[in-house]
Amino acid sequence: MRGRRISLTLRGAVLLALTSAVSTIAIAQEKAAKDAAAPAPKRDISGVWLYQGSGGQEGTAPDKDMPPMTPWAQARFDTERPGYGSRAVPNGNDPILQCDPAGFPRIMFFPTPFEFVQSPEKIIQFFEREHAWRPIWTDGRSLPKDPDPTWSGYAIGHWEGDYTLVVESAGFNDKTWLGATGYPHSEDMRVTERYQRVDRNTILYNIRVDDPKAYTKPIIGPERMMKLRPGVEIGELPCVWSEENSFTKRIREPAVGKPNR
Amino acid sequence: MKPKLTTSAVLIVTLLATCSSMLAHHGNVAYDEQHPITIAGNVTEFVWSNPHCQIYLDVKNDKGDVVAWSVESQSPGILHRNGWTRDSIKPGDHITVTLVPAKSGAPVGFAGEKTGKVVFDDGHVLRMDLR
Repeated sequence: MRGRRISLTLRGAVLLALTSAVSTIAIAQEKAAKDAAAPAPKRDISGVWLYQGSGGQEGTAPDKDMPPMTPWAQARFDTERPGYGSRAVPNGNDPILQCDPAGFPRIMFFPTPFEFVQSPEKIIQFFEREHAWRPIWTDGRSLPKDPDPTWSGYAIGHWEGDYTLVVESAGFNDKTWLGATGYPHSEDMRVTERYQRVDRNTILYNIRVDDPKAYTKPIIGPERMMKLRPGVEIGELPCVWSEENSFTKRIREPAVGKPNR
Repeated sequence: MKPKLTTSAVLIVTLLATCSSMLAHHGNVAYDEQHPITIAGNVTEFVWSNPHCQIYLDVKNDKGDVVAWSVESQSPGILHRNGWTRDSIKPGDHITVTLVPAKSGAPVGFAGEKTGKVVFDDGHVLRMDLR
């Protein structure tokens, strides 16, 4: 009799635990669905974002959309031996193969996520690729008149309406390529980006590069779509010489027929 | 159960016509991205490292010779988001890998987001999607 009572109590406890677990899952699912359906927060772009489709693997703009180069840029272009695109060759001279920073805007075009973190005076963009970051100043300051060149440049941002962040940047060095398919730029490059949050989970991303020293017209990138990735934590993907060297010896060189050293 | 070393390389050539042009555009020039193949063998080493994780495995070819294959995949960050850990593949595991092989003919391949996958003998699958 006593045993039966315990058994009944146990059964009751199990039933209660199951009911509770089921309702916890139901609540979590309901919250996720509600979050997804909720309108995007105003003037807030924080979160982890990743391109939809192949947008992150393209160059700044496809070859066909690159405007004519100036002689200055053409001379540099002719020395490039990229690993991707119509000019691809093995054992090329892409600067990132020697762990040079990808720099901006190329850092935007990798198939890895980035995160926006907002503070009252700036938005910080953290990239998984290279574990790199850049501040986008939103406190109303202007771009510096004659900035010293850097890999990431100097960026300011402002909101157009409640859902479009416009970022302008300048002050780049000229050591980086615009993308994996090459294409040079000069220190005069200025970049304008528009992050248009069309719904809670979606950004339409547009980029324009103005660099009259290198190109006879602005470079207009194709519109790309980014998706919010709730729950994703960006990892680290730094370029580390020891890892790159090991990878080159064990994979890159054997792949093109060089003996495995 | 001791994994079978006798499993021969499975050369299933799959033309993925729908993806091929995109692959060719994005891909690493060293690999024949139009012609994915599937190989099976015993893992000798798994390297969990940037820039790309690496799987080394012994594969018996159709002549019965054991060939040491080197396979690159994605970065640890991308594989982590696909559910991998550094212990997902261990030396001694018998696995089947779909990859695009080196154009040079060397036993080197890339198992990436479009065609790549690792299948274990118990049926569980590891993928490399960009996520």
